[in-house]
Amino acid sequence: MNWNFDTDNYTIRLPISEQDGDALYALLSDQSAVKHIPRAAMTVENQAIDELRRIAMRFEGREAVSWLIERKADGQLLARISVQYINWMMLNTQMQWELSPECDLAVLQEVVPAVLKLLSNDLQLHRIEMRVRSGNEEYKTNLEALGFKHEGQLPAQFEYEGGDVDLDVYSILASEF
Amino acid sequence: MQFTPELEFPGGRVKPLHYDDIDALYELYQHPEIPGQRPLQDKEHLNRMVEYSVQMAATQRGMMWAIEIDGDIKGMVSGFDWQPSQLRIMMRVDALPTLTIKEREQALNVCIDFLVNKYHIRNFAYQWIAGQKEDIKTMLLGMSFNHTATLRDAWRTGEKTFADVLQYHFLSSKEKPVPKRLGDGHDENYSPGQNLNAGKGGAS
Repeated sequence: MNWNFDTDNYTIRLPISEQDGDALYALLSDQSAVKHIPRAAMTVENQAIDELRRIAMRFEGREAVSWLIERKADGQLLARISVQYINWMMLNTQMQWELSPECDLAVLQEVVPAVLKLLSNDLQLHRIEMRVRSGNEEYKTNLEALGFKHEGQLPAQFEYEGGDVDLDVYSILASEF
Repeated sequence: MQFTPELEFPGGRVKPLHYDDIDALYELYQHPEIPGQRPLQDKEHLNRMVEYSVQMAATQRGMMWAIEIDGDIKGMVSGFDWQPSQLRIMMRVDALPTLTIKEREQALNVCIDFLVNKYHIRNFAYQWIAGQKEDIKTMLLGMSFNHTATLRDAWRTGEKTFADVLQYHFLSSKEKPVPKRLGDGHDENYSPGQNLNAGKGGAS
Protein backbone atom coordinates (compact mmCIF):
# COMPACT_ATOMS: atom_id res chain seq x y z
CA MET A 1 0.00 0.00 0.00
CA ASN A 2 1.29 3.44 -0.92
CA TRP A 3 0.73 6.01 1.80
CA ASN A 4 2.14 8.84 -0.31
CA PHE A 5 0.19 10.03 -3.34
CA ASP A 6 -0.65 13.18 -5.20
CA THR A 7 -3.30 15.12 -7.05
CA ASP A 8 -2.86 17.46 -10.00
CA ASN A 9 -1.46 20.28 -7.88
CA TYR A 10 -0.59 18.82 -4.49
CA THR A 11 1.57 16.16 -2.91
CA ILE A 12 0.00 14.23 -0.04
CA ARG A 13 2.64 12.44 1.97
CA LEU A 14 3.51 11.09 5.38
CA PRO A 15 5.77 13.39 7.43
CA ILE A 16 9.50 12.76 7.64
CA SER A 17 10.76 13.35 11.15
CA GLU A 18 14.21 14.54 10.14
CA GLN A 19 13.09 17.16 7.64
CA ASP A 20 9.59 18.43 8.39
CA GLY A 21 10.06 20.07 11.79
CA ASP A 22 10.40 23.65 10.58
CA ALA A 23 7.48 23.52 8.16
CA LEU A 24 5.22 21.80 10.67
CA TYR A 25 6.12 24.36 13.32
CA ALA A 26 5.33 27.19 10.93
CA LEU A 27 1.89 25.68 10.33
CA LEU A 28 1.01 24.73 13.91
CA SER A 29 2.35 27.90 15.54
CA ASP A 30 -0.41 29.84 13.81
CA GLN A 31 -3.39 30.02 16.17
CA SER A 32 -5.82 30.35 13.27
CA ALA A 33 -4.84 26.84 12.12
CA VAL A 34 -5.89 25.19 15.38
CA LYS A 35 -8.70 27.38 16.71
CA HIS A 36 -11.41 25.02 15.45
CA ILE A 37 -10.13 22.05 17.49
CA PRO A 38 -9.56 24.14 19.71
CA ARG A 39 -5.95 23.87 20.81
CA ALA A 40 -3.20 26.30 21.71
CA ALA A 41 -0.74 27.01 18.92
CA MET A 42 2.82 25.79 19.30
CA THR A 43 5.20 28.28 20.83
CA VAL A 44 8.60 26.59 20.60
CA GLU A 45 10.11 24.66 17.71
CA ASN A 46 10.81 21.54 19.75
CA GLN A 47 7.06 20.98 20.01
CA ALA A 48 7.03 20.22 16.29
CA ILE A 49 9.83 17.67 16.75
CA ASP A 50 7.86 16.04 19.56
CA GLU A 51 4.75 16.04 17.41
CA LEU A 52 6.58 14.33 14.55
CA ARG A 53 7.76 11.66 16.97
CA ARG A 54 4.19 11.14 18.21
CA ILE A 55 2.91 10.94 14.64
CA ALA A 56 5.43 8.20 13.86
CA MET A 57 4.54 6.21 16.99
CA ARG A 58 0.80 6.48 16.42
CA PHE A 59 1.22 5.44 12.81
CA GLU A 60 3.24 2.40 13.86
CA GLY A 61 0.50 1.56 16.35
CA ARG A 62 -2.12 1.78 13.59
CA GLU A 63 -4.09 4.29 15.60
CA ALA A 64 -3.59 7.42 13.48
CA VAL A 65 -2.20 8.71 10.20
CA SER A 66 -1.08 12.23 9.38
CA TRP A 67 -0.42 13.55 5.91
CA LEU A 68 1.29 16.77 4.95
CA ILE A 69 -0.20 18.59 1.99
CA GLU A 70 2.40 20.36 -0.14
CA ARG A 71 1.88 22.51 -3.19
CA LYS A 72 3.80 20.99 -6.09
CA ALA A 73 4.69 24.35 -7.59
CA ASP A 74 6.81 25.54 -4.70
CA GLY A 75 6.85 22.79 -2.07
CA GLN A 76 4.96 25.00 0.40
CA LEU A 77 3.26 23.12 3.24
CA LEU A 78 -0.40 24.12 3.09
CA ALA A 79 -2.03 21.78 5.58
CA ARG A 80 -1.87 18.70 7.71
CA ILE A 81 -4.73 16.24 7.42
CA SER A 82 -4.92 13.44 9.97
CA VAL A 83 -7.17 10.59 10.93
CA GLN A 84 -7.16 9.40 14.52
CA TYR A 85 -9.12 7.12 16.84
CA ILE A 86 -9.32 4.60 14.02
CA ASN A 87 -11.83 1.96 15.11
CA TRP A 88 -11.03 -1.14 13.08
CA MET A 89 -14.05 -3.00 14.50
CA MET A 90 -16.59 -0.32 13.65
CA LEU A 91 -14.70 0.78 10.51
CA ASN A 92 -14.78 4.45 11.40
CA THR A 93 -12.34 7.20 12.25
CA GLN A 94 -12.11 10.89 13.10
CA MET A 95 -10.49 13.26 10.63
CA GLN A 96 -8.80 16.44 11.75
CA TRP A 97 -6.96 19.11 9.84
CA GLU A 98 -4.88 22.20 10.38
CA LEU A 99 -4.92 24.59 7.44
CA SER A 100 -2.65 27.45 6.51
CA PRO A 101 -4.35 30.66 5.31
CA GLU A 102 -3.55 29.60 1.73
CA CYS A 103 -5.45 26.34 2.05
CA ASP A 104 -8.91 27.36 0.92
CA LEU A 105 -11.93 25.37 -0.16
CA ALA A 106 -10.54 24.89 -3.67
CA VAL A 107 -7.46 23.17 -2.23
CA LEU A 108 -9.59 21.03 0.07
CA GLN A 109 -11.85 20.01 -2.80
CA GLU A 110 -8.85 18.65 -4.65
CA VAL A 111 -7.11 17.02 -1.70
CA VAL A 112 -9.79 15.70 0.66
CA PRO A 113 -11.52 13.40 -1.86
CA ALA A 114 -8.16 11.76 -2.56
CA VAL A 115 -7.64 11.14 1.17
CA LEU A 116 -11.20 9.83 1.58
CA LYS A 117 -10.71 7.49 -1.34
CA LEU A 118 -7.63 5.98 0.30
CA LEU A 119 -9.44 5.62 3.62
CA SER A 120 -12.30 3.80 1.93
CA ASN A 121 -10.53 1.75 -0.72
CA ASP A 122 -7.32 0.83 1.05
CA LEU A 123 -8.26 0.94 4.73
CA GLN A 124 -11.88 -0.19 4.22
CA LEU A 125 -13.16 2.52 6.56
CA HIS A 126 -16.89 3.21 6.25
CA ARG A 127 -17.48 6.37 8.26
CA ILE A 128 -15.24 9.43 8.43
CA GLU A 129 -16.15 11.90 11.14
CA MET A 130 -15.03 15.41 11.94
CA ARG A 131 -15.56 17.26 15.20
CA VAL A 132 -15.05 21.00 15.27
CA ARG A 133 -15.79 23.69 17.79
CA SER A 134 -19.43 24.67 17.52
CA GLY A 135 -20.37 27.87 15.81
CA ASN A 136 -17.55 27.96 13.26
CA GLU A 137 -19.33 29.03 10.07
CA GLU A 138 -16.25 28.70 7.87
CA TYR A 139 -15.87 25.06 8.80
CA LYS A 140 -19.55 24.39 8.36
CA THR A 141 -19.39 25.82 4.83
CA ASN A 142 -16.25 23.92 3.90
CA LEU A 143 -17.35 20.59 5.34
CA GLU A 144 -20.76 20.72 3.72
CA ALA A 145 -19.19 21.68 0.38
CA LEU A 146 -17.03 18.56 0.71
CA GLY A 147 -20.09 16.38 1.26
CA PHE A 148 -19.97 16.05 5.05
CA LYS A 149 -23.32 16.10 6.82
CA HIS A 150 -23.94 17.82 10.15
CA GLU A 151 -25.11 15.26 12.71
CA GLY A 152 -25.49 17.31 15.87
CA GLN A 153 -23.58 18.81 18.71
CA LEU A 154 -21.75 17.16 21.60
CA PRO A 155 -21.92 19.45 24.62
CA ALA A 156 -19.14 20.29 27.09
CA GLN A 157 -16.55 17.92 25.68
CA PHE A 158 -13.67 19.66 27.44
CA GLU A 159 -12.61 22.95 28.93
CA TYR A 160 -10.56 25.50 27.04
CA GLU A 161 -9.62 28.98 28.18
CA GLY A 162 -12.00 28.77 31.10
CA GLY A 163 -15.09 27.68 29.23
CA ASP A 164 -16.81 24.48 28.17
CA VAL A 165 -16.31 23.56 24.54
CA ASP A 166 -19.16 22.09 22.48
CA LEU A 167 -18.24 20.19 19.36
CA ASP A 168 -20.26 19.96 16.14
CA VAL A 169 -20.15 16.50 14.58
CA TYR A 170 -20.01 16.00 10.82
CA SER A 171 -19.57 12.79 8.89
CA ILE A 172 -19.29 11.38 5.42
CA LEU A 173 -19.91 7.72 4.58
CA ALA A 174 -17.99 5.66 2.05
CA SER A 175 -21.10 5.48 -0.14
CA GLU A 176 -21.19 9.27 -0.34
CA PHE A 177 -17.89 9.88 -2.08
CA MET B 1 -9.63 -1.59 48.37
CA GLN B 2 -13.14 -1.12 47.08
CA PHE B 3 -13.80 1.63 44.58
CA THR B 4 -17.20 0.53 43.33
CA PRO B 5 -19.89 0.86 46.01
CA GLU B 6 -23.12 -0.99 46.58
CA LEU B 7 -26.00 1.41 46.02
CA GLU B 8 -29.63 0.76 46.80
CA PHE B 9 -32.71 1.89 44.93
CA PRO B 10 -36.38 1.05 45.51
CA GLY B 11 -36.75 -2.66 44.76
CA GLY B 12 -33.14 -3.46 44.13
CA ARG B 13 -29.50 -2.48 44.27
CA VAL B 14 -26.38 -2.20 42.18
CA LYS B 15 -23.19 -3.85 43.38
CA PRO B 16 -19.62 -4.42 42.21
CA LEU B 17 -18.99 -7.35 39.88
CA HIS B 18 -17.72 -10.42 41.68
CA TYR B 19 -16.29 -13.73 40.54
CA ASP B 20 -19.24 -15.46 42.27
CA ASP B 21 -21.54 -13.74 39.77
CA ILE B 22 -19.93 -15.23 36.66
CA ASP B 23 -22.81 -17.64 35.94
CA ALA B 24 -25.39 -14.87 36.24
CA LEU B 25 -23.34 -12.54 34.07
CA TYR B 26 -22.95 -15.30 31.50
CA GLU B 27 -26.73 -15.64 31.39
CA LEU B 28 -27.00 -11.88 30.89
CA TYR B 29 -24.61 -12.04 27.96
CA GLN B 30 -26.74 -14.74 26.33
CA HIS B 31 -29.33 -12.00 25.72
CA PRO B 32 -27.45 -9.16 24.04
CA GLU B 33 -29.61 -6.08 23.52
CA ILE B 34 -27.35 -4.35 21.05
CA PRO B 35 -27.86 -5.04 17.35
CA GLY B 36 -25.14 -7.19 15.88
CA GLN B 37 -23.90 -8.42 19.23
CA ARG B 38 -23.76 -12.21 19.55
CA PRO B 39 -24.29 -14.31 22.68
CA LEU B 40 -21.05 -14.76 24.58
CA GLN B 41 -19.36 -18.08 23.86
CA ASP B 42 -16.49 -18.22 26.32
CA LYS B 43 -17.31 -17.82 29.99
CA GLU B 44 -13.64 -17.19 30.70
CA HIS B 45 -14.05 -13.70 29.22
CA LEU B 46 -16.18 -12.78 32.21
CA ASN B 47 -13.39 -13.57 34.65
CA ARG B 48 -11.31 -11.02 32.82
CA MET B 49 -14.21 -8.57 32.80
CA VAL B 50 -14.53 -8.78 36.59
CA GLU B 51 -10.80 -8.20 36.86
CA TYR B 52 -11.00 -5.24 34.47
CA SER B 53 -13.92 -3.76 36.40
CA VAL B 54 -11.72 -3.46 39.49
CA GLN B 55 -8.74 -2.09 37.56
CA MET B 56 -10.88 0.42 35.65
CA ALA B 57 -12.51 1.76 38.80
CA ALA B 58 -9.18 2.03 40.60
CA THR B 59 -7.67 4.04 37.78
CA GLN B 60 -10.80 6.09 37.03
CA ARG B 61 -11.22 4.72 33.55
CA GLY B 62 -14.61 3.14 34.11
CA MET B 63 -16.97 1.62 36.64
CA MET B 64 -19.23 -1.42 36.37
CA TRP B 65 -22.10 -2.53 38.55
CA ALA B 66 -24.36 -5.58 38.50
CA ILE B 67 -28.07 -4.79 38.84
CA GLU B 68 -29.64 -7.05 41.43
CA ILE B 69 -33.41 -7.42 41.83
CA ASP B 70 -34.72 -9.71 44.56
CA GLY B 71 -31.30 -11.33 44.82
CA ASP B 72 -30.99 -12.08 41.11
CA ILE B 73 -28.67 -10.31 38.71
CA LYS B 74 -30.73 -8.88 35.89
CA GLY B 75 -28.40 -6.43 34.28
CA MET B 76 -25.34 -4.26 34.41
CA VAL B 77 -24.65 -0.55 34.52
CA SER B 78 -21.34 0.47 33.00
CA GLY B 79 -19.51 3.75 32.85
CA PHE B 80 -16.68 3.77 30.34
CA ASP B 81 -14.55 6.21 28.35
CA TRP B 82 -14.27 8.10 31.64
CA GLN B 83 -12.35 11.35 31.24
CA PRO B 84 -11.75 12.49 34.83
CA SER B 85 -10.10 15.78 33.93
CA GLN B 86 -12.95 16.62 31.57
CA LEU B 87 -15.60 15.50 34.06
CA ARG B 88 -17.38 13.27 31.56
CA ILE B 89 -18.21 9.61 31.02
CA MET B 90 -20.23 7.34 28.73
CA MET B 91 -22.92 5.24 30.44
CA ARG B 92 -24.50 2.00 29.28
CA VAL B 93 -27.02 -0.49 30.64
CA ASP B 94 -27.20 -4.14 29.57
CA ALA B 95 -30.21 -6.03 30.86
CA LEU B 96 -32.14 -9.24 30.73
CA PRO B 97 -35.60 -8.98 29.16
CA THR B 98 -37.10 -9.31 32.64
CA LEU B 99 -35.61 -6.05 33.89
CA THR B 100 -38.33 -3.42 33.69
CA ILE B 101 -37.70 -0.02 32.21
CA LYS B 102 -38.40 1.49 35.63
CA GLU B 103 -35.75 -0.71 37.26
CA ARG B 104 -33.33 0.16 34.48
CA GLU B 105 -33.91 3.85 35.08
CA GLN B 106 -33.53 3.58 38.84
CA ALA B 107 -30.31 1.62 38.56
CA LEU B 108 -28.84 4.08 36.09
CA ASN B 109 -29.96 7.01 38.20
CA VAL B 110 -28.36 5.79 41.40
CA CYS B 111 -25.05 5.22 39.60
CA ILE B 112 -25.13 8.68 38.03
CA ASP B 113 -25.89 10.25 41.41
CA PHE B 114 -22.89 8.47 42.90
CA LEU B 115 -20.57 9.59 40.10
CA VAL B 116 -21.79 13.18 40.39
CA ASN B 117 -21.29 13.35 44.12
CA LYS B 118 -18.16 11.27 44.55
CA TYR B 119 -16.18 12.11 41.43
CA HIS B 120 -17.79 15.41 40.34
CA ILE B 121 -18.62 14.04 36.89
CA ARG B 122 -20.89 16.53 35.14
CA ASN B 123 -21.34 15.24 31.61
CA PHE B 124 -23.00 11.85 31.13
CA ALA B 125 -23.41 10.46 27.63
CA TYR B 126 -25.53 7.51 26.56
CA GLN B 127 -25.65 5.95 23.12
CA TRP B 128 -28.84 4.33 21.86
CA ILE B 129 -28.22 2.13 18.87
CA ALA B 130 -30.93 1.83 16.24
CA GLY B 131 -32.70 -1.46 16.84
CA GLN B 132 -32.60 -1.30 20.63
CA LYS B 133 -35.84 -1.00 22.57
CA GLU B 134 -37.62 2.26 21.83
CA ASP B 135 -38.61 2.78 25.46
CA ILE B 136 -34.96 3.30 26.37
CA LYS B 137 -35.09 6.60 24.46
CA THR B 138 -38.20 7.63 26.37
CA MET B 139 -36.48 6.69 29.61
CA LEU B 140 -33.45 8.82 28.79
CA LEU B 141 -35.56 11.87 27.96
CA GLY B 142 -37.42 11.38 31.23
CA MET B 143 -34.08 11.41 33.06
CA SER B 144 -33.23 14.82 31.56
CA PHE B 145 -30.89 13.43 28.92
CA ASN B 146 -31.05 15.37 25.66
CA HIS B 147 -30.69 13.88 22.21
CA THR B 148 -27.72 15.83 20.86
CA ALA B 149 -26.54 13.99 17.74
CA THR B 150 -27.37 11.13 15.41
CA LEU B 151 -24.14 9.46 14.36
CA ARG B 152 -24.89 7.83 11.03
CA ASP B 153 -23.72 4.24 10.58
CA ALA B 154 -21.51 4.56 13.64
CA TRP B 155 -22.28 1.04 14.92
CA ARG B 156 -21.31 -1.97 12.86
CA THR B 157 -23.83 -4.76 13.00
CA GLY B 158 -22.39 -7.14 10.43
CA GLU B 159 -19.74 -7.57 7.78
CA LYS B 160 -21.10 -4.64 5.76
CA THR B 161 -24.11 -3.48 7.73
CA PHE B 162 -24.30 -0.56 10.12
CA ALA B 163 -26.74 1.12 12.48
CA ASP B 164 -27.17 4.75 13.47
CA VAL B 165 -26.22 5.77 16.99
CA LEU B 166 -28.32 8.37 18.78
CA GLN B 167 -26.18 10.16 21.32
CA TYR B 168 -27.75 11.62 24.44
CA HIS B 169 -26.18 13.81 27.10
CA PHE B 170 -27.14 14.73 30.62
CA LEU B 171 -25.28 17.70 32.10
CA SER B 172 -25.39 17.85 35.87
CA SER B 173 -26.24 21.25 37.31
CA LYS B 174 -23.93 20.66 40.25
CA GLU B 175 -21.14 23.21 40.58
CA LYS B 176 -17.76 22.23 39.22
CA PRO B 177 -15.18 21.34 41.87
CA VAL B 178 -13.03 24.27 42.90
CA PRO B 179 -9.33 23.63 42.28
CA LYS B 180 -7.11 23.89 45.32
CA ARG B 181 -3.54 23.16 46.17
CA LEU B 182 -2.91 19.42 46.31
CA GLY B 183 -3.11 18.13 49.86
CA ASP B 184 -4.89 21.18 51.22
CA GLY B 185 -8.28 21.10 52.81
CA HIS B 186 -8.35 17.39 53.63
CA ASP B 187 -8.41 15.56 56.93
CA GLU B 188 -5.87 12.93 57.97
CA ASN B 189 -7.81 10.15 56.26
CA TYR B 190 -7.64 11.82 52.87
CA SER B 191 -6.76 9.44 50.06
CA PRO B 192 -6.08 10.82 46.60
CA GLY B 193 -7.26 7.48 45.20
CA GLN B 194 -10.67 8.08 46.78
CA ASN B 195 -11.00 4.44 47.77
CA LEU B 196 -14.09 3.75 49.81
CA ASN B 197 -12.26 1.88 52.55
CA ALA B 198 -9.97 4.71 53.52
CA GLY B 199 -10.23 5.33 57.23
CA LYS B 200 -12.11 2.08 57.81
CA GLY B 201 -9.15 -0.16 58.37
CA GLY B 202 -8.47 -0.76 54.69
CA ALA B 203 -5.31 0.20 52.93
CA SER B 204 -5.19 3.80 51.88
